[in-house]
Amino acid sequence: MSDKNELLLKLTDVSKHFAGLVAVDKVNIGVRKNTIHSLIGPNGAGKTTTVNLITGVLPLTSGTVEFMGEKINGLKTYQIARKGIGRTFQNIKVFETMTLLENVMVGGHQLTKMGVLNTIFNFRGTAKEDKLLKEKAEYLLDKLGMYHLRNHTMKNLPYGRQKISEIARAMMTDPKLILLDEPAAGLNPSERAELVAVIQKSHEEGMTFLLIEHNMDVVMNVSDDISVLSFGRLIAKGEPNAIKNNDEVITAYLGSAFVKDQSEEKNQP
Amino acid sequence: MTTMVIQLLITGIAYGLIYSLVGIEYTLVWNSSGLLNFSHDRLITLGAYIFGGSMILSLNLNYPVAIIVTLAIMGCVGALLAMGVFNRLRSMRSNIFAIIGTVVLSKIIAEFIRLFWGSGNMRVPGWLSGTVRIGNFAITVANIVITVVAIVLVIVLQLFFKFTKSGKAIRCVQQNKKASALMGINVNRSICITTGISTIICAVVGLLVIPLVNISATMAITIGLKGFCAGVIGGFGYIPGAIVGGIFIGIIENLATLVIPAVYKDAVSFIFLIVFLVVKPTGFLGKRA
Repeated sequence: MSDKNELLLKLTDVSKHFAGLVAVDKVNIGVRKNTIHSLIGPNGAGKTTTVNLITGVLPLTSGTVEFMGEKINGLKTYQIARKGIGRTFQNIKVFETMTLLENVMVGGHQLTKMGVLNTIFNFRGTAKEDKLLKEKAEYLLDKLGMYHLRNHTMKNLPYGRQKISEIARAMMTDPKLILLDEPAAGLNPSERAELVAVIQKSHEEGMTFLLIEHNMDVVMNVSDDISVLSFGRLIAKGEPNAIKNNDEVITAYLGSAFVKDQSEEKNQP
Repeated sequence: MTTMVIQLLITGIAYGLIYSLVGIEYTLVWNSSGLLNFSHDRLITLGAYIFGGSMILSLNLNYPVAIIVTLAIMGCVGALLAMGVFNRLRSMRSNIFAIIGTVVLSKIIAEFIRLFWGSGNMRVPGWLSGTVRIGNFAITVANIVITVVAIVLVIVLQLFFKFTKSGKAIRCVQQNKKASALMGINVNRSICITTGISTIICAVVGLLVIPLVNISATMAITIGLKGFCAGVIGGFGYIPGAIVGGIFIGIIENLATLVIPAVYKDAVSFIFLIVFLVVKPTGFLGKRA
């Protein structure tokens, strides 16, 4: 339990301005180790911008981002990735002409020593390293129920499969934290159920997730903590039940439809 | 007649492989940085001047040492260009700025060459000279070396991209820079390596064409343009496309001399370039590209 109180990722007064537009406004978020922390909010709330600030895709206007107690804002994207932050994308970004297996293996390549000289003078060692990577990638694909598709070219796979493969690719980097940017968007109900199972299983194995998601079923099912953004401001944070009943959140994000659903549920015998 | 056709085919393949190498060079820079490098003909020229003008004629080095030193210098030139120019140009708001940037770079390299080696032509006596007779066919040593070196270079490149960490990283960067960075790949470093490789290819081309065109400030202008034609005709952005496109125009322009005066053979490639741009802009292997 003490593990879960340790902050893995800490955003302090993080802001991002685009000319006159304030996309993220002094946001404070703490992601506890071995938890699933969801970041929700209506469209344009600044969720993806926040993820881009964490991963170094965008520079911060002000504030700090700390990962495992170390300040990471100002580092380059690849340096942040090598610190142990994996990520998937709202709009999938796969290596289209590679096979599924190659795509997933990419995540692990940067952890290997397969340099040019190593490959020439220690081909056996390189081949062994490549074999280990392959086995790990195959294990992850098996875990995601996609092993049978491993030799398919990415661009020929259905959208949902491509999206789930990004999680496997992120896991290959041996991350301590994975940022999932709307992983359920575009997935059908059965793929969504698979996704939830994958996230929960990885969480049980000790993985920490920061989840950005619109689908409330997914969010409420898997989250330990939730932070809510609206117009770039953090308007609420807490456990799922507390968020569900937070008036400001209901007004800003869940809206009247959700409130109506809830009251209908309550009225059912 | 048959002998002549075969003779032209052999020459066409050798020339075609030169165009293929230039096309590959274009493709590497285009895929990695999104830049159309219009300075590559000057880089070919620079490689030839470093080898012929400095390593052989001034320093009297033997061929193997001269080749190794030239390729090493050109690799460093490429990496420096990537760091100082290409990585900055690719971040510019408009591609037009980047294209103009490579054109200006071309002029700078041309002026540097004139300043350093003068404006006269050079020859490297004995370099890839001679002819080998196989049956009825006379094949120049230059054509044999061009064919062998080009094939070996293409194989080495494929092995590099398939088996090394840097090669795999370059393939990723070519397809998606953002995802690559988030996989821990240093995108700028990958572009430096790619540009270094492409500049080494320029140097190899420069060395190989010395016996065909001599060393001069304008030696690579036509070859550079035909390398671009090879890329477009084969399928731009796809290395096998550059190889197919290069061999195609090499053979076609040489066979064309059977029906048109040889002085017009350069025009054949450019006519095909226009035809492909209008009729099949994706080139032979466009769908795969």
